[in-house]
Amino acid sequence: MSRSQLSDRPVTSDGAAATGRPAIVAEPGAASAVASAAGPASSDAATVLRVEDLRVTVGGGRAEAVHGVSFEIRRGETVGLVGESGSGKTLTCRAVLGLLAPGCERSGGRIDFDGTDLTALGRRAWDTIRGTRIGAVFQDPASYLNPSLTVGRQLTETVRAHTGLSRAAARARALELFAAVGLRDVETVYHRYPHELSGGMAQRALIAIAISGDPDLLVADEATSSLDALVQAEVLELLRRLTAERGLALLLVTHDLAVVAEVCDKVLVMYRGDLVEQGPTAEVVAAPRHAHTRALLEASR
Amino acid sequence: MRTLRRAWRLPSAKVSLAVIGLVAVLAVFGGAIAPFDPLKQDPSLVLQGPGGRHLLGTDYLGRDVLSRLIEGTGRSVVGALEAVGVGLALGVLPGLASLWCGRVFEWVVSRLADAFMTLPYIVFAVAVTGVLGNTLTTAMVAIGVILAPRFFRIARAAGLGLTRAQYVEAAELFGASRWWILRTHIWSKVLPTLAVTAAQAMAAALLAVSSLAFLGLGVQPPAPTWGGLLSGDLQYLSQQPWAPLAPGLLIMVAAGALNTLADAIRDSGATDLLPGGGEFAAADSADASDGDVSADQPEAKENIHVPVPAL
Amino acid sequence: MRIVATSITVFLLASFLTYGLGAVGHANPAAAVLGDIATPADITRMNHVFGLDRPLLVQYFSWLGHALTGDLGTSYFTSVPVSQSVGQALPVDLSIAVLALTFAVVLGGAAGIAAALRQGGKLDRAVTLVCAGLATVPPFVIGIALIVVFSVFLKVLPSGGYVPLGTDAGQWLRFALLPALALSVEGAAAIARQLRTSLVAAVKENYVTGAVARGLPARRVLFGHVLRNAAGPALTVVGLEIPNLIGGAVVAEKIFNLPGVAQLALQSGSQHDIPLIQGTLLVTIGVVLVSNIAVNLVLLRLTPQARRPAGAAV
Repeated sequence: MSRSQLSDRPVTSDGAAATGRPAIVAEPGAASAVASAAGPASSDAATVLRVEDLRVTVGGGRAEAVHGVSFEIRRGETVGLVGESGSGKTLTCRAVLGLLAPGCERSGGRIDFDGTDLTALGRRAWDTIRGTRIGAVFQDPASYLNPSLTVGRQLTETVRAHTGLSRAAARARALELFAAVGLRDVETVYHRYPHELSGGMAQRALIAIAISGDPDLLVADEATSSLDALVQAEVLELLRRLTAERGLALLLVTHDLAVVAEVCDKVLVMYRGDLVEQGPTAEVVAAPRHAHTRALLEASR
Repeated sequence: MRTLRRAWRLPSAKVSLAVIGLVAVLAVFGGAIAPFDPLKQDPSLVLQGPGGRHLLGTDYLGRDVLSRLIEGTGRSVVGALEAVGVGLALGVLPGLASLWCGRVFEWVVSRLADAFMTLPYIVFAVAVTGVLGNTLTTAMVAIGVILAPRFFRIARAAGLGLTRAQYVEAAELFGASRWWILRTHIWSKVLPTLAVTAAQAMAAALLAVSSLAFLGLGVQPPAPTWGGLLSGDLQYLSQQPWAPLAPGLLIMVAAGALNTLADAIRDSGATDLLPGGGEFAAADSADASDGDVSADQPEAKENIHVPVPAL
Repeated sequence: MRIVATSITVFLLASFLTYGLGAVGHANPAAAVLGDIATPADITRMNHVFGLDRPLLVQYFSWLGHALTGDLGTSYFTSVPVSQSVGQALPVDLSIAVLALTFAVVLGGAAGIAAALRQGGKLDRAVTLVCAGLATVPPFVIGIALIVVFSVFLKVLPSGGYVPLGTDAGQWLRFALLPALALSVEGAAAIARQLRTSLVAAVKENYVTGAVARGLPARRVLFGHVLRNAAGPALTVVGLEIPNLIGGAVVAEKIFNLPGVAQLALQSGSQHDIPLIQGTLLVTIGVVLVSNIAVNLVLLRLTPQARRPAGAAV
């Protein structure tokens, strides 16, 4: 188990078909232009995550599904990573979290998180990053919670693992966090099992756990996709509020450009393993350069 | 038949069927094959090692071990067959009947099955032979009674799945008689699952016969059986530590072949014909499968408190 | 609570079967005790003393009532109270069965976890193969093999005999070790197989990814999360193994010459000593049912999904 296991989200290998495609990343967003030029690992203080030429292979190294993706996220910035399923967006985000499924491997590139090279970390070193510096929430939130423990207990467990707080103090902190993510009647929720919560509540609980270590970066992988429209809007509003309140950078991975348009400062568009377009959300939405971005825009209308 | 043909494609099925065939030949023609009279004592050749005229040596009374092993096969196999037969008769018919004969009957029979399942088979067989007389048939009826709940469960679960299947409903709508539905639709689908269970039960029964014979139950002493041979060896372990090897191996190989055959039939997918077919194996016994004993299936959940004797 | 209720029903049925078995036996204890010289009048008088002239159901409830207060009747032959005989023999089996269960859980658990962690590796294949093999080996063959190895060749442990746990724990362990080991093998194999299967399935679950993503240490993820969820099915297997363990104890007693319930049952069986047979059978059923209730209570604690109805969301 030294290697973290993942859900076997189907990863189509159609990325291989797109080898040799010239990367149309020639248009870096205004914000990243300076940083890209800065080369060395000592990133400037404003950059929290920098991914350089990330390549991910699937099927035990037989096919490459992410072909050299580069981007960066600044402190407190909200970045949307969009693409259809199989575009490599989930693989990219999993690589950032160090949670690639068995058979998937990072075959090249650097991932620099606030001065730490994430690609060189061992399992123990990861434990000091995940949960405290980088939080993560996922699609189908209830399945990412242990079905046989109450959500309150899972939150206190996380708090205690990272802070060494006493049981009582961790519990008090847990109740605070539940309140902070907009859960009502936190005492009751504390004693609920994941399957007893609605999708929206479970996602709020998962967000509470993800931000319990007061991280700098929150990775949300399709975090709102399985929720119905109203709840989705509420959760997005919550994410927006949290990023603003806590100076939290957010990497929002989704297939829905409308969601990105609503929340994100910047957007990254992936297609068949390549980052085909990136820039400030308003610009990209107003004047999409790549055909695929236009298709995504069409789809989200 | 289709089940067997499918299973036959697996090499493990071929090997296990060959072993089972060999044991069957020994069981039927044992008397003719055995090189010596299994009961003839020869005081001059006591506790001989293997080799020479007596291939597997002689026991503490100078009897030929190989002949006793061969001769004992028939008794062990017949005993096991008796037990499985009793189990089938007492399990399958009430199992299917419980689906049609009303809730009271269903409740009583189900609880009876639960009750029998709590009984450790050896203790039960000891008690039954103690009360009713120490014969092979009594001992095997006792084992059969303990096996019956397995067949009951399978037949019930299979029948339950099928009565809910739409084509059975359709047949009922067309006015088909219950008996006709039972025969044509249900029986043909239940059979493969039943074959798996029967093979497993046969293996369990062989072990049970041997265990009981080892304890001196069901078989009177001079007559050879697999288990009896082992118990005879027990006294002379310090002189002949290898003696239990042959009967022990024979029991293991025979039981192993039956279990392998059961696995092969299941792996061949025949049991999948049933709605939720693969689940019966998981629900029916602990030793049966690599599939987990999950509490998710309604039938398994209902019975989760009940131990299934994996004899 | 449903478990307890069902168990009581099952106990009533099983005990009635037990009593009915004795009644069907027609062993005619009076004739057996009094011998050939008994006149019909003597036999009638004796039957009255034993209470055998009443209707079956009345006899059963009176017997059960006495049994529940600890009075299992008196042996037809030795005139020793059955509860006393069983009371002396039962601790032998219970202590060995508990030791065997401990071995089974520890050995099977360790093997299952090790195999699952090295899934597809050499260790995994070795464990799978050994477990499949051991599942078909009857406990008495293992018992004999253990005697051959440890008593005949190595001469480190006695091949039979018994010292009560209360008398000398060290000596008890010397005598109990081989029988317990022989008994544990089957259960250990079953537990290892089940635990491996459910662990391999559990490790792929999203909640494991979730726990890792929260930054929980590997050990904590394994024991606090994966094992907690995978333990349920393995525990069910433990429950299923309990009757086997008790049945196996009978054979182990014979091999290792232990003064347990089985020797009692075998002896009473050969003498048609019906109260003693009924007593041992009833106590055995009781032990199985009580341990099953215990296993199920633990199971309910482990898997709250089964306890509370799903979809209770607000």
